[in-house]
Amino acid sequence: MSDFLQLVFQGLGIGAIYALVSLGFVLLIRAASVVNFGQGEFSMLGAYLLVVFFNILGINYFFGIGLSVIIMAGFGLIFAYATYWPLRFRGGLPVIISTIGASIFLQNMVLWIYGPSTVPIDGLFDSDGFQIGEVFISSQYLAIIVIAAALVLLQYVIFEKTLLGKKLQATSQDKEMASLLGIPVVIMIMITFAYSAALGGLAGILVAPILFVSVGMAGIITLKAFAANIIGGYGSIPGAILGGLALGIAETLGANYISVPYKDAFAFLMLLAFLMVRPQGLFGEKISEKA
Amino acid sequence: MLITRRSALLSAATVTSLGIAGRARAAETMKIGVVSPLTGPVAEAGRIQLNSLRLAVEKQNAAGGALGQQIELIVEDDQSTNPGAVLAFSRLAERKEIAGFIGSIRSTQMNAMAPDMLKVAKPVMFGGTDPTLTKLGNPWLFRCRPNDSYSGRVIVSFITGSMKLKKVALIHSTDAFGTGGKNAILANLEKQGLQPVLVQGYTNNQPDFSPVVLAVKSSGADVIVSYFTNEPDCAVFARQLRQLGVRTPWVGSPSIQSPVTRGLAKNALYGTYAVADFVEDSNPTAKAFADTYRAKHKESPDSGWTYDGLMILAKGINDSKSTEPEKIRQAILSIKKYAGTEGEYNFDQFGDGLHGYNIVINNNDKIDYKEHIEFTD
Repeated sequence: MSDFLQLVFQGLGIGAIYALVSLGFVLLIRAASVVNFGQGEFSMLGAYLLVVFFNILGINYFFGIGLSVIIMAGFGLIFAYATYWPLRFRGGLPVIISTIGASIFLQNMVLWIYGPSTVPIDGLFDSDGFQIGEVFISSQYLAIIVIAAALVLLQYVIFEKTLLGKKLQATSQDKEMASLLGIPVVIMIMITFAYSAALGGLAGILVAPILFVSVGMAGIITLKAFAANIIGGYGSIPGAILGGLALGIAETLGANYISVPYKDAFAFLMLLAFLMVRPQGLFGEKISEKA
Repeated sequence: MLITRRSALLSAATVTSLGIAGRARAAETMKIGVVSPLTGPVAEAGRIQLNSLRLAVEKQNAAGGALGQQIELIVEDDQSTNPGAVLAFSRLAERKEIAGFIGSIRSTQMNAMAPDMLKVAKPVMFGGTDPTLTKLGNPWLFRCRPNDSYSGRVIVSFITGSMKLKKVALIHSTDAFGTGGKNAILANLEKQGLQPVLVQGYTNNQPDFSPVVLAVKSSGADVIVSYFTNEPDCAVFARQLRQLGVRTPWVGSPSIQSPVTRGLAKNALYGTYAVADFVEDSNPTAKAFADTYRAKHKESPDSGWTYDGLMILAKGINDSKSTEPEKIRQAILSIKKYAGTEGEYNFDQFGDGLHGYNIVINNNDKIDYKEHIEFTD
């Protein structure tokens, strides 16, 4: 039983990471109809920024995190200007290709600046964790779960209780109508890019003490986060969270009880199963072509 | 003889072109092709391998190079992937002037490139430790590290002899390196009439090893034996092993004691044992190489096989007094008692140069030489 609980905790932790990255995907899909394949690179850049501030410049760890997240928000604007803005009237596919290109460019840029070395970085706490009975609670995993939950709550409050949130929602639902109502659609999309990059950066910073900082650190996580997004319901915020958590737990339990080498396969089998049986995902709406 | 302006110009042009050709001949270099990971997840290891190679080139060139020519490296990036390695080697294969190659430390990439290497038919010095690589019927492959049949024998000999432990949990990557290592351990345990209590494979680049750690915990093993390919994987496993309270003694393949893994895992690897092909305190050549490397790069090398590979290739070319591949091959095969950084090279008929391993222990991040186990059969 204690092994099962331990696995569920680890699964929740890794699932929360998928959920955070997936959330970044979903926001851009909703606001700008953009599938951003550079989302993983936001995470990698966030982690490298913290390496610069904390490991190299010796700035206070938490101040360094704040600074990294703010810079990532600014970077989101540059990213939008470079990859989305010139192609915004050309449909979804050119923008997707453009984000893939940006992702390759960012990886190589970081490789050029920092080199290929994998860098360790401190966690949020000095202690590795603590025991509850037979279960070891890793402080970093716990922090990831708590921060992910807090961000979901914050996002709910912003989207549902503030005027800015309503404007963002209106933009995501119908840009033309939102524009006619006087909502500055361009600014709303730019805010979403900034928030999505900040969120991606934070996910990278949180996962860095576990996976270390390297150019390829976000590769498999980004793919799983995208799978979580489909499982949860394409473009659904609660879906991204639950999809991520479900994926994390399923693959951890699957690895333990069925097969470790096929751990990655469970995530993608789950994706295939959903695409066949419930293509709209857990929370998605069934969308059909409008006549 | 009437010297016209035209004939004078022609003569001058002829002399000039001859001069240029003469200089070009004098500047001709002995080209050695190198397939190395410059980008991708194992690019860090590639950087150290290239640094070592360049030291070997400097040393050999100072001693006269190969056949009186200065040695020049032609490096292609394998992008840390099998398709990347095949592409990199095919680019090098097109260059007919290359006399020999330095291949990969990764068995999976050597397996991918081996058919093309057979077609090109020139000596390839490599570091991949999958024992089958030198038994493929490809006569051009020369290994500059002891293969996993030796690491497996040494590990089993060490845990059953010095440590007196018998219940083994075997953790391995499912790639060619990890699978080769697993097979070697299983075969050597069987020779001693032992069966492992757990055999657990994993795919490379895992963010979470808790299912593997819990499997070790519940297996009742008294020793962990591991074959990790990528250093971050080894470090993540080590930290989760300690976090989940597993204190079982651990003997691993060389990656467990590399500076990169130790830098990432820190105290989670203290007290662990490893087989190590390169240990700077194990012989004078290794010590001298490590001192030179440190003076130049301000860090310690974790391997010397590319250094040895280049020196042996140059020796093969010089001994055979030829760039004819078959003659170089025969010269390399006849090399005996050559003192390399990785140990004493005695090439056998299959192209394996080394036949033993060192055992080291991580004493609070200091790698101490413990013993050398050599086999002659």
